[in-house]
Amino acid sequence: MIKVKNLHKKFGDLMVLNGIDEHISQGEVVVIIGPSGSGKSTFLRCLNLLEDVTEGEIYVDDELINTPKVNINVVRQKMGMVFQQFNLFPHLTIMDNITLAPVLLKKMTKEEAVKKGQELLERVNLAEKADAYPAQLSGGQKQRVAIARALAMNPEIMLFDEPTSALDPEMVGEVLDVMKDLAKSGMTMVIVTHEMGFAREVASRVLFIDQGVIMESGTPQEVFSDPKNERTKLFLSKVL
Amino acid sequence: MTGIELWFADFCDKFYTCFIRDDRYKLLVSGVGVTIKVSLLAVIIGILIGMLVAISNLSNNKLLKAIGGIYTDVIRGTPSVTQLMVIYFVIFATVNLDKWIIASIAFGVNSGAYVSEIIRGGILSVDHGQTEAGRSLGLNAFQTMTRIVIPQAVKNIFPALCNEFIVLIKETAIVGYVGLMDIQKAGDFIKSATFEPGMPLFGTAVIYYVLIKILTLTLRQVENHLRKSDAR
Repeated sequence: MIKVKNLHKKFGDLMVLNGIDEHISQGEVVVIIGPSGSGKSTFLRCLNLLEDVTEGEIYVDDELINTPKVNINVVRQKMGMVFQQFNLFPHLTIMDNITLAPVLLKKMTKEEAVKKGQELLERVNLAEKADAYPAQLSGGQKQRVAIARALAMNPEIMLFDEPTSALDPEMVGEVLDVMKDLAKSGMTMVIVTHEMGFAREVASRVLFIDQGVIMESGTPQEVFSDPKNERTKLFLSKVL
Repeated sequence: MTGIELWFADFCDKFYTCFIRDDRYKLLVSGVGVTIKVSLLAVIIGILIGMLVAISNLSNNKLLKAIGGIYTDVIRGTPSVTQLMVIYFVIFATVNLDKWIIASIAFGVNSGAYVSEIIRGGILSVDHGQTEAGRSLGLNAFQTMTRIVIPQAVKNIFPALCNEFIVLIKETAIVGYVGLMDIQKAGDFIKSATFEPGMPLFGTAVIYYVLIKILTLTLRQVENHLRKSDAR
C-alpha cells in the first residue's frame, strides 16, 4: 500500500532522514517510536508530502507520488492525517469542519456529507457537538473530531502524528479508544506516538527510528520484549 | 438680555445664515453624498489592490514582490494630496471619467498600500497548522487559502481594516483640491459666502463625526457577528 525507497530528507544542512526503506501493507497498524528529533514525525509527514522529499521514492498504491506529474491533492484524499495540535478550523462548526472537504472536493453532496458526519460523530461519541465550535471543546474532544474529519474523506490510510502528546493525561484514553476501534475495523494506520502501552496492544508492527534510519522493526512482542539493537534497548530502558 | 440669551440669539442668527438661508444646507447634504460615494468606491478599490499586493508580497515571484514593494514605498512616502493631484491632473488628465470616480481611484490606490500590509499580517497570523490540515484533506492551495486561511485572517484584521476605512473617509476631505464639493468643501463654500468661519466649520466637524460614529457602531455589530465562533 505504501512503499518507501531510500528516503532522505534534509532541512538545510541537517540530515533528518538518512535512507529509509519501508513497506506498509493494507490493514497494518504500524506504530513508530523513537527519541525526540529522531525523524519519526518527519517520516510520517513525508508520506503525504507535507514535507517535500530530498531524495528517494514514495509509492502509494504502486503509484510514485513524489513527482511533479502526480496531482498530490488527489493522493492526499486517500490519506487522512491527524495532528498533534488538532488543527480544527476554528471558524467552522464541528459539522462544517467534517463536511468541508468532502463537499468542496465533490466526493459527496451536502446531505450525504452531513449524514456521514453524524455517523462519524456518533462513532467518536460526540454526536451532540455537531453545532458547537472547536473553542467550546476539550482537547480530547477536539482530537476525536479531528479523527472524524479525516475519516469523512473515506481514506484508505490514516496517519497520526503524536495524536495524544498535546492532551491532558485524563483525556489520552478517550482518543486512544477511538484509535483502537479504528484499528479493529481494519483501517491501515501509521502512528507516531510515545504511548508504549498502546503500541504494545494495538500495533501489528513497531518501527524504532533513530538518527534518521529505521533501527528496528518487528511485532510489539519482538521489539519490546526482545530488542536486538543496542539503541532500541537503551531507548526502551528509559521509557518503559 | 442676559449674556447667555445674547449668545443664544447670536447662535441662532448665525445658524440661520449658514445653514437655512438660501437653502445652504442642501450644499452640505449633497456634500455628504459626495463624501460617501468617493469613500465607498475607494474602500472597494483599496481592498482589491490590497489583496493583490498582499498576495504578491507573500508569493515567491521576485518581480511581483519588487512591484509590490515599490508601490507601498512610494505611497507611504508621499502626501495623499500630492497623490490625488498627480492622479487627477496628470495620469487621468485626458481620460473622460467622472471627477468622483477619478478621486476614488486616487484614494483607493493610496489606501491599498496600507490595506495590503494589514492583509499580509492577517494571513501570516493564521497558524500554519491550519494550512497543513487543509492540504492534508486534499484541498489545493487556493481552496485552503479561500476557505480556511482568509476567513480567519479577516476576523483577525477586521479592527485594523475598520480603522483604515475611518482614516480614509477623513482623508477624502481633500477632494476639494480637484474641484469636488464634498462636506469639507461645502463648509468652506458657506464660510466664504457668509464671512462666518465658526459655524460652517463646526457644522462640518459634526457631520463627519456623526458619519463615522454610525460607521463605527455598524462595524462593531459585524465584528461581533464574526466573533461568534470564539464563544466558550
